[in-house]
This record gives sequence, structure tokens and C-alpha cells, in this order.
Amino acid sequence: MDYGRRELADRLAAEYVLGTLRGPARRRFESLLGGHPALRAAVVSWQQRLEPLAAGIEPVQPPDRVWRQLQGRLFGEAPQPAPWWRRVGPWRAFSGVALSAVLVLGVLVQQVPPPQAPLVVVLGANPDAAQPVPARFVASLSPDGRALVLRPIDAPALSAQQVLELWAVPPSGAPRSLGLVRADGATTVLRAQLLSDTAAFAVSVEPSGGSPTGAPTGPIVSVGQLQI
Amino acid sequence: MPHDARPQADLAALLARVGLGDRSAIAALYQATSPNLFAAILRINPRRDLAEDVLQETFINVWRNAGSFDAARSQPMTWLTSIARNSAIDSLRRASARIQTVSTHVGSAEDGDEVDLSDTVESPGEGPLQLLQRAAEKRDIEHCVGKLSAEQQQCVALAYYQGLSHGEVASHLAQPLGTVKSWLRRALLALKDCLGHAAGVKA
Repeated sequence: MDYGRRELADRLAAEYVLGTLRGPARRRFESLLGGHPALRAAVVSWQQRLEPLAAGIEPVQPPDRVWRQLQGRLFGEAPQPAPWWRRVGPWRAFSGVALSAVLVLGVLVQQVPPPQAPLVVVLGANPDAAQPVPARFVASLSPDGRALVLRPIDAPALSAQQVLELWAVPPSGAPRSLGLVRADGATTVLRAQLLSDTAAFAVSVEPSGGSPTGAPTGPIVSVGQLQI
Repeated sequence: MPHDARPQADLAALLARVGLGDRSAIAALYQATSPNLFAAILRINPRRDLAEDVLQETFINVWRNAGSFDAARSQPMTWLTSIARNSAIDSLRRASARIQTVSTHVGSAEDGDEVDLSDTVESPGEGPLQLLQRAAEKRDIEHCVGKLSAEQQQCVALAYYQGLSHGEVASHLAQPLGTVKSWLRRALLALKDCLGHAAGVKA
């Protein structure tokens, strides 16, 4: 490589690393890298020279879902055992006797003329819980799906370090937290879209302050399926 | 020293294990470096959803290519940052190609309350020039950056931190393309002399 070409190679390497080499020129340059060790060396030198500039950027913690999705893409599987909300699937099966625990009145309410009637979902004790506890709640939803009032019927016993957290469970995917709810009285939850993509509501026991991960960490004590 | 999380030697050892297909090593590497890489990506492609994709692509590349990482020639963080920046710049091309098809979804309410404001609102304040100055202070290269004119500093900062092309830098600064190209060329030459020397002294 003569001097002029070396100079050009170095300039292109600099522009490539800085990011200003773009479009077809960038792709052409990349395709040349494999066969030209001198070009690669120039790129590595520029990467090292400009690397200190990265120190100006404050780190940003990516959301947990990125790592979860990445694991799926890397290893083609979810590494954890199926989370509870997928195991809750069998709730479809106990439509007979056990259904009394999960009474959904929404269907009835919808057949009755007044269109503004609230939707009521009864959350029964979670039959899949390792140690089922009597825990039942009633959730009343405004028809527009923007307000929910949760009232305990049988609240589980909690220690001073425990709280209850309410979740909206989609047909597939991870539950969304609707926030902490009271064990000793009614809690009102206001959200823009309580019903969209919601198949069920669930209540879990969490450490005080709520789930630290954004997903339920404690036992799911109560579940109620939504049927619209 | 340079990156807060882990010493480079640790990262090199992790990368070596990743090269052997060690899953716990890629998990540890992700934990140690993803905040730095995510931040660099977000600067170039501020759309959160796309930036998250780019971060995943970066680590897929790392997983596949860690075997080719040469600790004798490259610092681990330099290597990782380069992969992340390249993917981010490539994603800009895809994003601009996608704008027409995506626009129908913009503003739809389907995400409702799940939209996190911090996802859509750009972080306030810090312009690229401030980032350049902070980098100069942190990494002791103020004398190098100080050798650049104000215009040159701006060009370098816009290109490096925001991933702007020559043309985009020119329109951002309302300057002719030729002027901006020559500012950048001279800036890179000045940085080459100075940073090359600084790096040589440190290594």
C-alpha cells in the first residue's frame, strides 16, 4: 500500500469508527475489512483512540425484559421453569365444581340492559398455590376500564414486612403490576387501560414496597379470570 | 479504571469464557457492561424500543464472535463498544427505512398506561458537547480535546455521540457540507496525533 492509499485507508477507518462513513460506502468498507489486515489494524487503532469519548456517557440500566428476551434469542428457550401465570392456564380446566371459586359475573352483567353497569370479577383462592390460603377479593371495574375498586372478602394474614400487590395478567406474557392494595379495606386503582389485554387479575404477597423485580415474586394467593 | 463496572482484565476473562460458549459468562458480561453499552446505543438511536433491539443484537454478536476477540490487540470494553456503536448506526438506516410503515402506529393508545414517560421523553440537558467535555475530564484527555477549535469539537461530538452523518452535522450546524467535512478531517488528524500519543504513554 503506497502512502496515499494508506492515508486514505486511515481516513476511512477514522470516519468508519467515528460513524460519519455511511450508507453504501460504510457497507463497502466493512466488506473490505475481512481481506485487508492493514485496514483492520487502522480500524482497531481508531477504536482505541476514540474509546475514551465513551466515558462521557452516563450508563443507563436497560429494562429486565431485554435480558429475558435476549436469553430466548441466544439459547432458544426460557431458562426458568414456566412462570406461574402460564401454569395458571389449567384454570380453564376446572370449569366445573371449582369454578365457584372463580365467579365471573361480567357476562351476566353485560346481558342486563344498563350499559354503564360495572364489571365484577371475584378473585378466589389460587388453587395452584403451593400452600393455598383462604384469600378472596372482589374487583369492580368501571365499564370504560379506567377504574377498579378491589375489596378483600377474606384477606390473607400478612407479617409487618409483607404487602399485597395486584396484577393484570395478559393471555400470554408477563403480568403488569397495578400497584399495592390494602388487605384491610377497599383500594381504588385508576389506569387508562385496565381491561385491554387482560385475561385475569391476581394478587400476590410481596415484600414491603412491592415486588422489587416488576414481576410477582411472592406466592399468588388469589386469582380471578376475566370473561367479557 | 476507565469503566466503572469491572476491570478490563475481568472482562477479558469473561469474554474468553463466552468464546467457549459459557452461558453464565455471557450473563455476567451482560450485567457488567449492558448499562454502558445501552447508554451509548441510546445516544445514537434514542427510540427506546429500537435501542433495546440493538442491545440484544450487540450481545448476540458478542456471543457468536467472542472467540475472535483478541485480548492482545483490543481492550474488551473498546471491542464491545465498537460492536454496539456499529449496530446502533446500522439501526438508523433501518429505522429511516421503516418510518413510513411504522407511522400508522404512532400515537395509538394500545399501550395505554404501560407507556412509561421515561421511554418517550428524551433525557433533558446534556448536549453532545457536554458529553465530550466530561469524557475529556474523566479520561484525562483535556489537552487533546482542547486542541480542537469549538467547531471541530462540536462536529466530533455530534458525530460520535449522536451518530450523525457528515450531511446531518452540516445541517445541524447550518454550515456547508464541505466546511464540515474539512473541520472533521482536521479534527481527526489532530486527535490522531494527540490521542495516539496519550494511548501510547498509558499502554
